Amino acid sequence: MSDTDTTTTRDELTGYENIPVRTRIAEAPRPFLEWATVLIVLIAVEFGTYASLTIATVERAFVGVTALFDILLGFISEGAAEAVVDLQQGVSKFLVGVADAAAALPTLLSREVIPNQGHKLGPNGPWQGTFMGLEPAVAWGLRFTLLVVYALFLSYWVFRGWQVYREHYRQADWTPTDDMVGRLRGHRWGQFGILVLVLYLTMAVFGPALGPTTVEQNIQSSYSYEIEYYNGETGEVESIPVGDANFNSKSKGGGENVGPMSYDNYGRFHPFGTLNNGRDLFTFLMGGARITLIVSGMAIGLATLIAAVLSMISAYYAGTIDLTVLTVADGVVSVPRLLLLIMVSAVFANHWLGGIIDGGFILAMVFAFTTWPFLWRAVRGPALQVAQEEWVDAARSFGQRPRTIMHKHMLPYIVGYLLVYASMSTGGIIIGLSALSFLGNGLGINPPTPAWGRAVSLGQDYVSTASWHISLISGLMIVLLVTGLNAFGDGIRDAIDPETEGTEGEEAAAGGGA
Amino acid sequence: MSKVSGRTERVAQAGETMIKVENLKKHYGGGGVFAQPSVKAVDGVNFSIKRGETLGLVGESGCGKSTLGRTLIRLEEATEGTISFDGTDVTTLTGDELKDWRRNAQMVFQDPESSLNDRMTIGEIIREPLDAHDWKDKQDRQERALDLLTAVGLREEHYYRYPHQFSGGQRQRVGIARALALEPEFIVLDEPVSALDVSVQAKIITLLEDLQEEFDLTYLFIAHDLSVVRHICDRVAVMYLGKIMEIGETEELYENAHNPYTRSLLSAIPHPDPSSSSHRITLPGTPPSPRDPPTGCQFSTRCPAKIRPEEYAHVEHEVWDAIERYREVVRERSRMSLGTFDRLKRSVGRFSAYDDIDETVADLFDDLDVPADIREHVETAAELVKDGRPEDARSHLIDEFNGVCDMQRPELHQVANGGHLSYCHRHTDEYEDVDPVITRRTRDT
Repeated sequence: MSDTDTTTTRDELTGYENIPVRTRIAEAPRPFLEWATVLIVLIAVEFGTYASLTIATVERAFVGVTALFDILLGFISEGAAEAVVDLQQGVSKFLVGVADAAAALPTLLSREVIPNQGHKLGPNGPWQGTFMGLEPAVAWGLRFTLLVVYALFLSYWVFRGWQVYREHYRQADWTPTDDMVGRLRGHRWGQFGILVLVLYLTMAVFGPALGPTTVEQNIQSSYSYEIEYYNGETGEVESIPVGDANFNSKSKGGGENVGPMSYDNYGRFHPFGTLNNGRDLFTFLMGGARITLIVSGMAIGLATLIAAVLSMISAYYAGTIDLTVLTVADGVVSVPRLLLLIMVSAVFANHWLGGIIDGGFILAMVFAFTTWPFLWRAVRGPALQVAQEEWVDAARSFGQRPRTIMHKHMLPYIVGYLLVYASMSTGGIIIGLSALSFLGNGLGINPPTPAWGRAVSLGQDYVSTASWHISLISGLMIVLLVTGLNAFGDGIRDAIDPETEGTEGEEAAAGGGA
Repeated sequence: MSKVSGRTERVAQAGETMIKVENLKKHYGGGGVFAQPSVKAVDGVNFSIKRGETLGLVGESGCGKSTLGRTLIRLEEATEGTISFDGTDVTTLTGDELKDWRRNAQMVFQDPESSLNDRMTIGEIIREPLDAHDWKDKQDRQERALDLLTAVGLREEHYYRYPHQFSGGQRQRVGIARALALEPEFIVLDEPVSALDVSVQAKIITLLEDLQEEFDLTYLFIAHDLSVVRHICDRVAVMYLGKIMEIGETEELYENAHNPYTRSLLSAIPHPDPSSSSHRITLPGTPPSPRDPPTGCQFSTRCPAKIRPEEYAHVEHEVWDAIERYREVVRERSRMSLGTFDRLKRSVGRFSAYDDIDETVADLFDDLDVPADIREHVETAAELVKDGRPEDARSHLIDEFNGVCDMQRPELHQVANGGHLSYCHRHTDEYEDVDPVITRRTRDT
């Protein structure tokens, strides 16, 4: 619908908007069905992963929320608080059970379908247990590549869904979003950010299937699992607990080293080498990605929410309310973040609250508490600017409710800025979280749950030795992610604010034809 | 077109008073102990608007005309005074009553670029007032939005477009449609055409006139373009520094202006006839700050017909003019406050930052034949300024040269029939009328 023709009758015009999207799709279902079929297939092949992840997230959120209730009720009555804890534990147990059941559902690109763990039958001999008898490195590489391709394609397909909607089902032939997407198309730096973000999400979501082994088997309960390997000395296939195998695969510089892209003595392939305690670095980092995502996501989500609400309230009402928020924000900013984190970690070290998400919940709360003032300050300016626009006056003049004005007339203009600053602050949170894990000693994510900062810390004694890979690779992961988030923020900023690129003239010319 | 439901229908008579504004004041700031004096944007305004008429409100930028318009529709809270709308004082309305009343009074904004939310379609923008008031059901609202689009001369297909895709004139039409959505009786038009091209201005003005006739609207038309105002308005109010200087029927006021300020404004309209004998009255200086308006008449610092004190009545016109300029310079000086270091210098008598006042005195008075007593006062004031005490210099000049215009606020005098009022001391019998004074003084220059 390039241009509505002049013969359009009024019924069509008013009627059009009254038709819900569902009906519009029903009238011309083909593009939607094509898109949806592919999406359903894409989701179905990995359904178990998504389902278990979603339920686990719900479980954690539930535990977190009830924990707050528990603390608040604890001030009033012990009995009520205990009742909440009982309820919490019951529901949590049930949800964990469901999540485990979901995780057990077969998925297409799982380690069961494309296994990479196996052993040789002889000194040069064929591999047993790996996918089609391939070498473990090849089998792992195949699974890794397929998963990344799958994740990238899925992301594209979700974007494709918006394109289908725009082309076939949207009423307006042009909206401001179109221009934003258009500008992002030519923005290589922003696209790099999106790519990094997608890869990072892939690591967090598909972590268990991406690694050559699992966190559970290799790191958390290494003595509960046994692996088989071909022993060159005895010439036989023997079995050994994973823990013992790890013990003999340490990377501690000098003679003791399992570097990147190499096998250890037990026929296990290590894409990033091993840690100084013999565990697989790649698996460790995948596990760390998930916890990093959960903590930084929770922190930045909460901080953004607080900042958005407060910035609009302070811009709309201004005066005393603005001043109050300003004072509170300044107060919060003056609290040294790292010290507060260390203090809170110490206080909750032995409290069950400190155990939620391996200590990540408390950290997320502290990060949210210390981050919102920065976000609020960053968007207060734009919010004040929007509040001065005449359309806000116009809305007030016909008696629109303040809440609706903020939501409809102000929020759309600051949400872009929020996204920019939030993505950049996330980098700070990730670095802060890594710093805590790096410091260790009861700070940061509780061991043995993997955390990126701890990997850097573990390798710091071996930086100048053959085991340089431990600190370097984990450090580079942090750098790459934070850079990617900043690139993403830059891209979004340029997309929502064309003036920064100086394409004002072109835009005016494009809009002039209407 | 159907009436907005829920509103009590009353038989409205054209010509009866609809809005009566009494002693309306709007001051900004000045609340706290350390605050600067408040800005007196609107400083005691009285007027009324009759049903069905268009009242023009003119004045230079910063005189408070927009603030007055915004206060009338409760976008700003009045500091003092009442606005009675069909007998109800709207300055005291709150909550649901206020929301309900807001239907009656709408506003069209000056800048069409800023008055429409770019993220909403035209249809959503026009429909929003109806949505906010839960007017009928969705289908009816859409019908009404489409009706309004046609009414303001846009096409129905524009419903799904975005403001971005329209020209300034079209955007202003959308703004007008939005203002009309709730079927208001009264609309404040805040410089609705001043941001538009001249060719578009005429179309919008015609549209506004047509709409007024069709929907029985009452307008307050705020503008600084005097010819536009003459074209569209039934009555005109002239504002200066928060005060209405003159108000009257448009033709009467344009042909027969009594207030010196109105006369100088009107003299600025270009005449197509080059042989026309009318003199242009050029006002000296700039308007004083609304934080610190003159004690007497607001216009006294620039007035071409200012009343002189008795003892200086026969001083030459040029000399008196120079005195007025000199007073303004001193007045501006006194508004700046000195820093600590300058105060220190002043206390030991070594202050020199204001020595350039001598040049001002030389510029103003050297070419003139200044009587000795005046010369003396001027010199005294200059010395005080040089000493770093411009406040004292100011009060010295006030004591010496103040006339009634500087000391007393005038009143609104009835100057002709039809409610033609003017704010000037010269309308009392004591003083010579404005017209001969201005004619004489402008002829001199």
